[in-house]
Order: sequence, then structure tokens, then C-alpha cells
Amino acid sequence: MLSRHPGTVRTRTHMIKMESRTAYLCLIPSIIGLIFLTYLPLISVFILGFFKWGKGAPSPVFVGTQNYIRLFTTDPFFMDSIGVTIWFSVLAVIGSLIYSLYIAMLLNRKIPARGFFRAVFYLPYVLPAMAVYIGWSWLYEANFGLFNFLLSAAGQKKLLFLADSNLVVPSLALIAVWLSGNLIVIFLAGLQNVPRVYHDAAEIDGANSFQRFRHVTLPCMTPIIFYNLLMALITNMQIVTPALVLTNGGPGNSSSFITYLMYRYAFISNQLGYACSISFVFFLIIAIFTIILFITSKSWIFYEGDA
Amino acid sequence: MPGNTTTLQGRTVASRRRQEKAGKAATLIILSFLAALVLLPIWWMFRSSLMTNAELYAYPPRFFPGRWLFGNYAATMEFFPFWKYFKNTMTIIVPAVLGGTATATLAGYAFARLHFPGKKLLFTLCVGSMLLPTMVTLVPLYIMWTRGLGLADSYLPLILPYFCGGGAFNIFLIRQFIKSIPREMDEAATIDGAGPFRILVSIIVPAIKPAMIVVSLLLFIFLWNDLLQQLIYINSQSKFTIALGLAQFKGSLGTDWSKIMSATCMAFVPGIVFYLIGQRHFVEGIVMTGMKN
Repeated sequence: MLSRHPGTVRTRTHMIKMESRTAYLCLIPSIIGLIFLTYLPLISVFILGFFKWGKGAPSPVFVGTQNYIRLFTTDPFFMDSIGVTIWFSVLAVIGSLIYSLYIAMLLNRKIPARGFFRAVFYLPYVLPAMAVYIGWSWLYEANFGLFNFLLSAAGQKKLLFLADSNLVVPSLALIAVWLSGNLIVIFLAGLQNVPRVYHDAAEIDGANSFQRFRHVTLPCMTPIIFYNLLMALITNMQIVTPALVLTNGGPGNSSSFITYLMYRYAFISNQLGYACSISFVFFLIIAIFTIILFITSKSWIFYEGDA
Repeated sequence: MPGNTTTLQGRTVASRRRQEKAGKAATLIILSFLAALVLLPIWWMFRSSLMTNAELYAYPPRFFPGRWLFGNYAATMEFFPFWKYFKNTMTIIVPAVLGGTATATLAGYAFARLHFPGKKLLFTLCVGSMLLPTMVTLVPLYIMWTRGLGLADSYLPLILPYFCGGGAFNIFLIRQFIKSIPREMDEAATIDGAGPFRILVSIIVPAIKPAMIVVSLLLFIFLWNDLLQQLIYINSQSKFTIALGLAQFKGSLGTDWSKIMSATCMAFVPGIVFYLIGQRHFVEGIVMTGMKN
């Protein structure tokens, strides 16, 4: 009996071996990417943060925690840039989540021309960022821009959207909301997975549409809201293009985002080590936000089958 | 009595229908209004690109150009070599999108279907990298490409990373999609003697085309949007992309808004065309991937 099996056993182990060999072959590019483009650079950021490199130091010189001390004590821009980045992210994330969830819910109803509307709301996302910001800078233009035309038509004073230190961040956040069409598509995919029976049951129980939203849609959507919240936060914290092309961080430092500061130190004033210390603090800030989100998420995310 | 109930029910059904109809109409009105708001900025940029500067500064502003000056585009192209920039941009985007889609498919397949030691660890590292902002590693990567590998003023630092997995999100998307395909097909092929690689090529790839289109569109948009990396890796003007050319054009023209808007609208076109081509697959793909968890 046994003598008939060794062949099959061998092909079996052979197949398992072949399977893992194929798997590693398939993963070689990704493993190279993870090592050399993700995790090693992350470690390098941490290490380089303790070095002086670039201006005044052609090769890296170890300076201990000097970069970090400079960041938090004497750097005139750094603390402001954290505040500006967080302020922008809060506005952009909350704005785009509410906007995209609302649009997604409207699009989820049985209406004619759904595909057309979906395409319209997604459209801004496929436009190149550079052109979008230049286009919007024209809309925000102080004298002849669209928004100031509308304001003066409504009898209001004209506003210096991008040249007013109090308005520049909200103005840029509005562009970010306009650009958030990708969140709509993901929300829409989630809404289509909310079981129809829950809605029907709630309707039979006499729940009105707001109650159905509050007690059926919202709980079912929490995992996707969490996902979108996390991704929108990470995306918006990294905002840099408008500072590069429109505001140069100004007026004053009112739109000098952390990433823009990092760019300036690394590529304009050639202080690579110092820029790395900023990158690392930036990484820690995002990590803290992410951890907080993950910890608090346990209390508000509803997973089907939990109840 | 029985007749009475029927009319009662008939009435509630009718009123519910009417209510639904009213709701539908309200939804349509709100959506149309919001869609108009979303399109307004784009329309405003487009209409500005067809006007003279004098017309742009006139009060009250015109919603439609008096004369549609499509000649503005030709005039703009004298200073803004759109086709050269377009060609340069595509030199980066085409290989990057192909490489990213291919390597993301390979990795997604391995994670979705194959068993191998270290799978869990690798997958965790992969998903974890999704949470790592790309901006954080900008400086060390710049040092690696330019000083370590001597690739200053080259497109390679912008292209090669895409041959390394095409991003964790895309790998994850492909994996989810493959997982939704019934395993029976693979098993049948295995019995017929197909190896894992054969299964990938002849069964999985044809089945996940929508997901691959989504991934290539996402990669396209990402590359299309990326100004900072182009800014730090490309120096010579002959290599400028649309984004870099546009930034320079804006910088040199200052307030010639009519020309600036022509250039801006030109830069819009390729993205819109690409999106319209892939649109159907795109939404389908995301929905089918079922971004449930």
C-alpha cells in the first residue's frame, strides 16, 4: 500500500515548494520596494536627524540631538508650521468627509443620470494638482476673481483669499474638499454594501429618513468612514503643492506647512540633516494621530456580527 | 370590510409612491445644484481661457465669452510647448503605470492565493507602509538617487519606484479583488496540471482586468499630480513635465490670466480623456473590490 504513495507525496511537497517559490518570485519587486524605498529610508531619516549635512558640512557630521533642540527652541518657523498643518488638515478632512458622504448618499438613491453625476463629482480628482491650484488662484484673485465678483454682487467687501493670513488656510482647504471625489467613490461602494433588509426593517418600525441615517446607515458605514478618515488625514497632512506654487508659505508663515518647511530646508538652503529631523518629527506626529484614531476607533466602529 | 382594507392599502401605496417621487425630484434638484457648483470653477477657468484680458477685467463679468477665442490656445502654445511637456510627462507616466500595475498584480496574487512562509509578516509590512507618508522619506530617497546612484536630472528616480510594487494600496486592492474570484477555477486548472504562474496568467489576469484598470488609473492620477518629486529630480528645461512647465509659465507671465488659463485647461485634458475612457471600469472596479474592511 505505502509503496504506491511516495510519488503523490513527492509531487505534493514539490507543489508546495513550487508555490512558495512562485510567491517569492512574485513578491521580489515589492520586497525590494519595501526594503529600499520604505523601511530603510525611514530608518535613515531617524539616523540622519542626528547629523549635520549639507551647508557647512559637505559630509555628514554627528551632532547628537542638536537638530532637535534647534527645532523646538530656536527655529522661528517650525512650531508655526505644525499649527498650520494641523489647522489645514482638520478643516480639509472634516470638510471633505462630510461633503463626500453627503454626495455619496444622494448618489446612492435610485435616480436618473447617476453615472453622469458620479462622473461630475469625481472629475476634480483627475485634474492635475498643479493646474488645479493655478486655476483656483485665478478664482481667488483679489480684484477680478470669480469669488470676489460674487461677493461684490452680494454687496460684500472683497476678500484677499490667498493673501490674507487668516483666510489662506481655509481657502486652500476648500480646494481640498473640492478635490475629494475619490472619497465619494469609496463611500458609494460602502453604501451599496449596507444590507437592504436593515433599511426595510427600520422603515417598517416607522423610522424617518434621518433616524434611518443615524441608526442604520451611519453605524454600517463606520468602518469605511474610519478608512476614509485615516487616508484623508494622511493625505492632507502632507499637503505641499499649493505652498510650492501659490503662496510660498505666505503671507508671513500662514501657509508654511511642515512639508514645505522640510522642502525649503532640504532643497533651497541645503540642510539635509536638519530637514531629516523635521521629517522624523512629522512622521511621529502622523503616527500619534494614527494611533489615537486606531485606539478610539474601537469604541465607535461597528462591525457586523458584533452585536 | 375586505373591500375597505384594499382601498386603504391602495391609498397608502399611492401616497408612498408620490412621496418617493417627490423625494427623487428633490434629490435630483440638490444634486444638479451641487454638480453645477462643482463644475463652476472648471467652467470659469475654461471661459477665461477663451477671453481677452480686457474682457476678463470687465465689470460685471460675463459668464460666457463674447467671442470664443480659441486662438488663445495657439498663442499660448508659442510660449508653453504643450506637446513637448506632454511627451516628457508620458515618458515618465507610461512605464511607471505599466510597471506599477504589473508588480502590484504579482504581489496581490501572491498575497491572495499562494501559501508561503513569512506571508503574514510581509503582508503586515506592506499594509503598514500605507500609513507611512511618502513625504517622510523624501530626503533620504533624494540622497540615495542623486548622490548614491548618481541619477540627478533623470526620470529614473520617478519611474523605478513604480517597478517595486506600485504602492501598498494598489497591492491591497488587487488582493481583495482576486479573493473575490471563486477558487474553483484555479483548482480545476491545477488538476489539469497548471502551475501557479500559469494560473495567474491564464485565469487570474483575465478575471481581474477591471481591478487592473483601476490601479493603472490611480497610478496615473498619482503621477499626474506629483509636482514635488518632479521639482526635485528634474533640473534641465528640456526635460520639464506639464506640471513643471506650467509652474514656470505661471511664474514668467504673472497676470496674463487669459494665457495662463489656456495653459491650465490644456493640462486638464489628458486626465479627463483618460478618466472618460476608464470610467466605467473604474467605478465598477472599486465597487466590486468591495472596500469593506
